[in-house]
Amino acid sequence: MNLKISALEYVEQVKNGNISAEDFVSATIDRIKNVDDKLHAFLQVNSKAVEQAAQVDKKVKSGEKVGSCFGMPISIKDNICIKHSKTTCASKMLENFVAPYDATVISKLKEQDAVFIGKANLDEFAMGLTTEFSAYGPSRNPWNTDYVPGGSSGGSAVSVSAFECVASLGSDTGGSVRNPASFCSTVGYKPTYGLISRYGLISYANSIEQIGPITRTVKDTAFMLNILSGLDSHDNTTIDNENVDYLSGIEAGIEGKKIGIIQEMIGEGIDHTVLSATNDAVSKLEGLGAICEPISIDMVKYSVASYYTITATEAGSNLARYDNLRYGYDFPVEGFEFNSYISKARTKFGPEVIRRMILGGFVPSSGHAGKYFLKSLKVKSKLTREVTEAFKKYDFLVAPTVPILPFKIGEKIDDPVALFQVDINTVMSNLTGVPSISVPYAISNGLPIGIQLLAKQNDDKSLLQAAHALETTVNLPEVPI
Amino acid sequence: MIKLVTEEEIEQVAKFMKIDVHDHKEYVEKVHDMIDFFDILDSAGVEDEEVTMTDLPLSKLREDKHIPFEDKLIEKLKNYKEHYVRAPKMV
Repeated sequence: MNLKISALEYVEQVKNGNISAEDFVSATIDRIKNVDDKLHAFLQVNSKAVEQAAQVDKKVKSGEKVGSCFGMPISIKDNICIKHSKTTCASKMLENFVAPYDATVISKLKEQDAVFIGKANLDEFAMGLTTEFSAYGPSRNPWNTDYVPGGSSGGSAVSVSAFECVASLGSDTGGSVRNPASFCSTVGYKPTYGLISRYGLISYANSIEQIGPITRTVKDTAFMLNILSGLDSHDNTTIDNENVDYLSGIEAGIEGKKIGIIQEMIGEGIDHTVLSATNDAVSKLEGLGAICEPISIDMVKYSVASYYTITATEAGSNLARYDNLRYGYDFPVEGFEFNSYISKARTKFGPEVIRRMILGGFVPSSGHAGKYFLKSLKVKSKLTREVTEAFKKYDFLVAPTVPILPFKIGEKIDDPVALFQVDINTVMSNLTGVPSISVPYAISNGLPIGIQLLAKQNDDKSLLQAAHALETTVNLPEVPI
Repeated sequence: MIKLVTEEEIEQVAKFMKIDVHDHKEYVEKVHDMIDFFDILDSAGVEDEEVTMTDLPLSKLREDKHIPFEDKLIEKLKNYKEHYVRAPKMV
């Protein structure tokens, strides 16, 4: 069974009867058994996946209406709720939490006959960008298992890259879909804020986070977006996309489009191979008929500090609910005073979550809020204004997704500020709400490099067309695992 | 270098956030580094900037209606007894 196919190829082959969903899912489970000991992409594998795929085959054979996923095996980041299955957020705090309802994205995929192959590893509560902060151990990069896969949706990107599923869902608060997509050579998409419902996503920083697909091709991302996007009465931040078909016209090309190259994202600290790949990508975009020019977005320099201040504040508030009374792990209440019980129970949070909660208590506190939190909100506003201005002149913006190559596991884990700076190219899209995509572009010393394209709000369809055009210019080697 | 955040402050914030931190020193150093990094915001020149917000009028919110939950939610909670969540004593 050839597992190295795209989502669209999978659908076509099952639809035409060339392969069965059951055989494909069964082979995928075998693949997970063979490689996941080394990669640790999954926290749980669905033991009923093959059975569920067989049900889809029955529907196909009987001529019954089948959903557009045709039993496609999809991995789900373990901070998205699937009814009656564990949703741990890679935290010991929620190690036995069973979700009582489906996230909207899960309901939509179920309606389309997707098979959830397993729950993917992440940094605890999605706080991190290497997957090293998972309480259940790090995921490893399939291109070189000594290296981080990126994060926080590291398990999702690894599972797609290593053919342990066909597509995945991650969540992106500051680059958590695009960063691992870049590090693992997959496509990672952060949609316009509100395009995909967040109902059932365990919150980290509500004002900027989004669920996004991780796939092998840009067309697969468009396919997933057709299923996932649109209004949801459970999430009042969702926007009406008027049933746009993201797949139709994806080959429109970028002839005559204007693209701004963000100078602040290719400056100090960029790895020379990443810079060289970016310059090459710009040449390719020009070769496709685009007009590329340098552009400066001054507030990028302050975006990471603004991002961490805002997210820590929101995280501090969101994580207040984990008191181990309503849900949590086995830890009896007898013999404790109320507050000391909660403090004791919350020691199950890992060090990065604790650091961010302390920050989240500190930066908006009386005497410090003006210096940190208010200023961060002002930076966010000014950045949004600068980006809106940029899109009056340009159709798209371009930059490397991450300014450095994947690094070794453990290399930066004790230096939170060094880790912060890895986010510099991705947080802008979250702070301003614009869509962005990481396209696999090059391999340097056996490690992947992704190129990021951004478009204005609600211009997701054009962005996918541009990303597809860029994707057609590259021919990358296969993952060596 | 002058430490902007003291061990006592971290201890106080941790207590406020209901976190039982054993090794304050470890957190002081790292949180201090993080906050030190945030000082870059001072040079952003945004003092006169207005904070923009997106208003969501009440009319745009969904109707607040009761949707019966088919499962027994109480059984999914920790430390419950009959129809109540059991909490530690308050005094």
